[in-house]
Amino acid sequence: MKHHYWEPPIALYLFLGGLAGGILFLAAIFNSFVVPGYAEVFALPVLVSLACVAVGCVFLVIDLGQPGVFWRVWTTSKSIIKWGATFLVIAAVFALLFFLAFIGDAWPVFAGMSDFLKPAADFFLIVAGFFGLCIMMYTGIMLSTLKAHAFWATPALPVLFTISAISTGCAAIVLSIGGWPAVISLESLVVSEIVLEILHVVDIVLVVAELIVLLTMVLSFAGAGNVTAKAAARRWVRGSYAGLFWVGMVGLGLVVPLVMYIGGGHSAAATLVAPILVLCGGCLLRFMVVNTDDRAEIPGENRYYNRVAKNDAEFITKWTYGDNQF
Amino acid sequence: MTEISKTSSGLKGLVCPDTESTEVDIHQDGVTMVKSLCYFCHANCGVLAYVKDGDVIKIEGDPDYSNHGGLCCRGTSALLHVNHPARINHALKRVGAKGEGKWEKVPYDQAIQEVADRLNQIKEESGAEAVASAGGTTRTDDWARRRFLNQFGTPNGFHNALLCWIPTFMAETCVAGWSPFETDLASARCLILWGMNPGASTLGGMDGYTDLQKNGLKIVVVDPRYSETASKADLWLPLRPGTDAALALAMLHTIIYEGLVNWEFVGEWCDGFEELQEHVAEYTPEWAAPITWLDADQIRQAARLYAMNTPGCIQWGCTWDQIGRASTTGSHAIALMRAVCGNLDVPGGDGMPGPALNYLTDEEMELNECLPEEQKAKQIGSNKFKLTSWPGYQLISDNAKRTWGKTLPTEWFCEAHGPSVFKAILTGDPYQVRALIVNATNPINSYGDAKMTLAALKKCEFLVVVDYWMTPTALFADYVFPAAGALERPTIVTHYGATDSIMGGRRAMQPKYDRHTDMTFWRKLGLACGQDPANWPWETEEEAYFHILQPLGLPGVESYNDFVDFYRMYYPPLHQNKFKTNGGFWTPSGKVECNSTILRELGYPGMPTYIGCIENEIDTPEIAEEYPIVLTTGGGFMPYHHSEHFQMQGIRYLYPDPYFSINPELAEKLNIAYGDWCWIETRRGRIKMRANVEPEVHPNVVFAPRGWWFPERDGSADLDNPFGCLESNVNVLTSVDDEHCDPMGGSWANRGLMCKVYKCGEYDKEYKKEDTQFSIPGSSSEPGVTVMPSDQKLAREPIPFEKPQPTEAVPEGYEWVWQNNALYQKDTHFRLDESGWLINPRTKGYYDAHTGWRYDAANECLVDDETGKMYTMDREEIVFVAGVRCYPGEAAAPFEVPENLTWNSDKGYVTLGDLPYVYDPNSGWLLDPETGAFHDANYGWLYDAATGHLVDESTGKHYDMSYAPVEE
Amino acid sequence: MTRYVMVIDQRRCIGCHSCTVACRTWNKLPLDIVYNPVVTEGAQGTWPNVHKSWQPLLCMHCENPECVPCCPSGASQQDEDGTVWVDPQKCLSCKVCVNACPYGMRDASHLEDRMHRFVRKCTFCRDKRQLDPSAQPYCVLTCHQKARIFGDLDDPDSEVSKLIGSVKTERLFEEFGTDPQIYYIPELGGKA
Repeated sequence: MKHHYWEPPIALYLFLGGLAGGILFLAAIFNSFVVPGYAEVFALPVLVSLACVAVGCVFLVIDLGQPGVFWRVWTTSKSIIKWGATFLVIAAVFALLFFLAFIGDAWPVFAGMSDFLKPAADFFLIVAGFFGLCIMMYTGIMLSTLKAHAFWATPALPVLFTISAISTGCAAIVLSIGGWPAVISLESLVVSEIVLEILHVVDIVLVVAELIVLLTMVLSFAGAGNVTAKAAARRWVRGSYAGLFWVGMVGLGLVVPLVMYIGGGHSAAATLVAPILVLCGGCLLRFMVVNTDDRAEIPGENRYYNRVAKNDAEFITKWTYGDNQF
Repeated sequence: MTEISKTSSGLKGLVCPDTESTEVDIHQDGVTMVKSLCYFCHANCGVLAYVKDGDVIKIEGDPDYSNHGGLCCRGTSALLHVNHPARINHALKRVGAKGEGKWEKVPYDQAIQEVADRLNQIKEESGAEAVASAGGTTRTDDWARRRFLNQFGTPNGFHNALLCWIPTFMAETCVAGWSPFETDLASARCLILWGMNPGASTLGGMDGYTDLQKNGLKIVVVDPRYSETASKADLWLPLRPGTDAALALAMLHTIIYEGLVNWEFVGEWCDGFEELQEHVAEYTPEWAAPITWLDADQIRQAARLYAMNTPGCIQWGCTWDQIGRASTTGSHAIALMRAVCGNLDVPGGDGMPGPALNYLTDEEMELNECLPEEQKAKQIGSNKFKLTSWPGYQLISDNAKRTWGKTLPTEWFCEAHGPSVFKAILTGDPYQVRALIVNATNPINSYGDAKMTLAALKKCEFLVVVDYWMTPTALFADYVFPAAGALERPTIVTHYGATDSIMGGRRAMQPKYDRHTDMTFWRKLGLACGQDPANWPWETEEEAYFHILQPLGLPGVESYNDFVDFYRMYYPPLHQNKFKTNGGFWTPSGKVECNSTILRELGYPGMPTYIGCIENEIDTPEIAEEYPIVLTTGGGFMPYHHSEHFQMQGIRYLYPDPYFSINPELAEKLNIAYGDWCWIETRRGRIKMRANVEPEVHPNVVFAPRGWWFPERDGSADLDNPFGCLESNVNVLTSVDDEHCDPMGGSWANRGLMCKVYKCGEYDKEYKKEDTQFSIPGSSSEPGVTVMPSDQKLAREPIPFEKPQPTEAVPEGYEWVWQNNALYQKDTHFRLDESGWLINPRTKGYYDAHTGWRYDAANECLVDDETGKMYTMDREEIVFVAGVRCYPGEAAAPFEVPENLTWNSDKGYVTLGDLPYVYDPNSGWLLDPETGAFHDANYGWLYDAATGHLVDESTGKHYDMSYAPVEE
Repeated sequence: MTRYVMVIDQRRCIGCHSCTVACRTWNKLPLDIVYNPVVTEGAQGTWPNVHKSWQPLLCMHCENPECVPCCPSGASQQDEDGTVWVDPQKCLSCKVCVNACPYGMRDASHLEDRMHRFVRKCTFCRDKRQLDPSAQPYCVLTCHQKARIFGDLDDPDSEVSKLIGSVKTERLFEEFGTDPQIYYIPELGGKA
């Protein structure tokens, strides 16, 4: 069977898009409902999310066969990819506006613009947060609508991706809250600490939820149902992906950070190592899911594609028409 | 799409891919359609070529030809083939060391002259026989090569013919006077496809089989592999490779001893049936079962199916001629099977076309009379494999000329033994062959014992290659000539000059670059060697083919292209049951010879005697112990043909690596998984291929496909294995040892070999120099020449044969044929009848034995066909006056004379009075000898055709036909 | 109305790959693009009780294609006669349609210029039919075995209509709800 049409850039894009969405979503929630009035502590996390969106979009575009005409993505109204791209752009624009409202603190040159934007900063973050949520859900829904791939075509996948996105967003905020370019006052420092405390708990909940959804999805696929999904899930559980899955994703990506979060208190393990592990776990999840693009095999298909020439076979590039040798 | 291209044309080339429609419009102005034929395999499917400005822009299968518009991978790729960047486009002269791959492009004619000078020099020094020529599968006429060789004076032309049909053809001709090879499936009830896989070789045929099968035709497939064809068969006989002879004999036994023979046919048309019955008594199905690995019942079932569903056909399969020493005995038994079931030359049976009587055969184009007798005797291999070389050919050909009036071509049917020629290059035995012209073949991949062949080609003093590609053979050439291929040449199908029908296709375009067709090559070379230009009158194939076709006298055909445009194919009217109209078969005795006299005369048994294939568990247990697995090679497989098309990327992409088939049971035992690279080793060497683990073969059989080489590699980089031509080449495994070759036909052993198979190990996965070492014949561990080929004993000692002496003196000018105790006139091959008349065996017409004049029964006279003059039965010339036969000197007229006329015995005709007119007894009119005008027999009045009146010339009066005067 | 469909007679197919090569030759496809692979699992069973059949594949030209609505640029589209095709002028090769197809019958070549790739698929030889509306696809014309039959399902007199009406045919992966329009006449009268 031919597969892996989508290559690593797409997996990275899905991870970074979700991560950006998670950061924006959480920042908006905290800024609006939990600790209103201290928007400057979220300037750096939003910058991180902007960077994620930018890098993600670069990956998305270079994976295209024709990167030069990426704008064609907005040609039709129906396709889900178009909606994803729209969400990304809107979220990115408002996140940028939010960030610009604080850049004046670091670079006085922009002070005028920052002062102009600052009154609307909360609004910008709300809009960005809303579309951040859309992005998180979109990454999962997009894959789950491709029903040719049994492992993707499950409602659990958008849930999993969304939880994972918020969880990684959490981790990213933990790592980046309350820094440059905003001038951090003592009050905002305190707010940061409060947010960190809350995020600590939130991430514990999210990691547990992610663990449950992930195991439910994979193990239920592995146990029963669709032949193709079963084969794929078995690869995860005890096949070639088992090491990555159990040690990498479940172990290092979820259980270890969970233990650190719960038992680590304010140690470096809980505040630095655990979030990084969560981020790596989220990234690994996207890679593994994107690579598990198993289609139901048409009998004999695998044999056929295994036998045809690989693209690096010598004869493929040996002769060019119009280029006579003798 | 056109509209969009316009709107976004600004972006085109910048960011958009080129999206112009890839479709070639064949309806545009200036496009003409040419009816051509495919040239990539023997099926020669019909092709329609669309030509614009002298270049073919597109091809399609011809829907009105036997392929019904179908074209396989190979045919479809014809245009890519024509324009392939690796094609040889100019004559190349070697400038570096042999094999170095350094060439100088020289003008074609200059290269021809240089080659001719060298060939003439060699002929001067060592005799013409020191020049040999190897061929492959020219499709289908190759008389030009023989025309050249005959005039040059060498008997050493050869093809792979011995592996392909020719020994079978000769054995069958010994039995029935021609090979029954044309099936008439529409009326057949049963078809045996024996050792043949049309599903991967001749797709045009497979289509027909499938259609007819749907309408009730029973198809039996005999194949050790569950082939494409076997997968569609009604009955599949998966025999052990190489045991076809045992199966055929057991089936023959079953048919005879179960009384399933066609007694009427056998009684009337078969000679020596009782002998045969006795001879095959021991070949029971139970005897054959352990040899063939089939059940005795399976064999019986197949025999009954064939014998009880007559008429039926057995389609010839290449396998018959590739089993080495067991080859011809098998096809001989099959020939007898067809005969005793009465399937020869009948509707629905195996058609025996005979030579073309209405147009020129290939043999008539070959100038065989130019080759001196002493040169024929020097033909390499003719002392060993007599059936397919001059000794056997001469007997068969003389008989054919006697019975049919024409004969088989010497090309294909009378050739040097290829492997023996290669051995002669290496050993100088029986004499040194110094020059080899290789045309249309890559012997390293196509002939047996590839390592030995490679060594011979490297050693050959002067090697000339005509080819499309830089093959491993061409790499060692002194001169390489570019060959024109499909679409660049007209193609005729005469089934190698062995049939009476003809099909034709036109040249779609002139050869590109400096490429030339085969005939042009031989013609130019012949003229440059100093051959008589009168013997090479045709500048193009079209002219030559028209010369061949002209005797047909088809209306409206003024050129070869006319024939293709208006007719495309010609079949003679009488195509079946010819033996009945002919009054016998075309053998010496006029019957189907169950105990062939020609074979006996050549020193071979006249009836098929079982002989095992070269390596098997029963005859050679010591070999089977070390090499326990049975290997079958040589089978064709899509999408390649022989060693061709490995350069065609679109085809190669689908099948990039060589795969051999192995049963999962055996693979498990040998720890081999699908796709693993494995070594296959016989006593002669080893090759590597990837494993196709699939239960399509017996658990102790492996099937390895033929032809593999790797044209994408740098040939000069490894001269021990150029282009990887040995690495995966099954011919490394095959045997051409004399004692392994068929003693009659000389075919070498491709099938039924014993091998071992093992996975390529970590330290043993590269083809090494040691793997390329060879021996003649020796073992693979003992390199070098160990035994001279002529020291080899024949597999079967010739049976001493003494020709019976005639009981009466043979008159001068006649020869006596002992088989039917008859005298034949030497030049004409007319038989002297007991009545004293000569009889033309073809027309059954009588000829006067003294003068050779033909007897004309209608007119009771003799006719000299050369002058057209007629003679009385007393051989006196018959006088005609005004077209009326006269009888001078007769006392009375030999016919009734009207009363008013008188018999003139001096002049021998009847007159009216003194009038100078001659009475014609047939019409009842008087004829004026001077003007030929008609006159009335009563009055002598002139008949005026314009008015329908009789005119009295003396009075000028007119009368009507009842003598009543007509008023003016 | 016209609805082009193809009937594939597996009873006749012998796996010669002629259709594959004819298609790639005349549609001038890059080497790694195969519109119509002919796949087989090889001989099945235990020797000598084996059977074998071949399955020629191509785009199913579904009535309800997965690959069309997912396309963001509108390049992947369906004609009124049912032909599903990709307009290279519009395609940006995001490969979402490639992933959407349950039959794996689309791909972009990896041998072409990295910046100018587009998704390709079988078009029932749309270009050819535009020049000559009565034309048959190349894979159909070249088939010696006449195992591929192309025609208009809405025409009750067409060969495909008659075959589909009279012989038991099967379709691939009907469970996806794509309503594929390639009808297979299986070798053994049903899935073995």
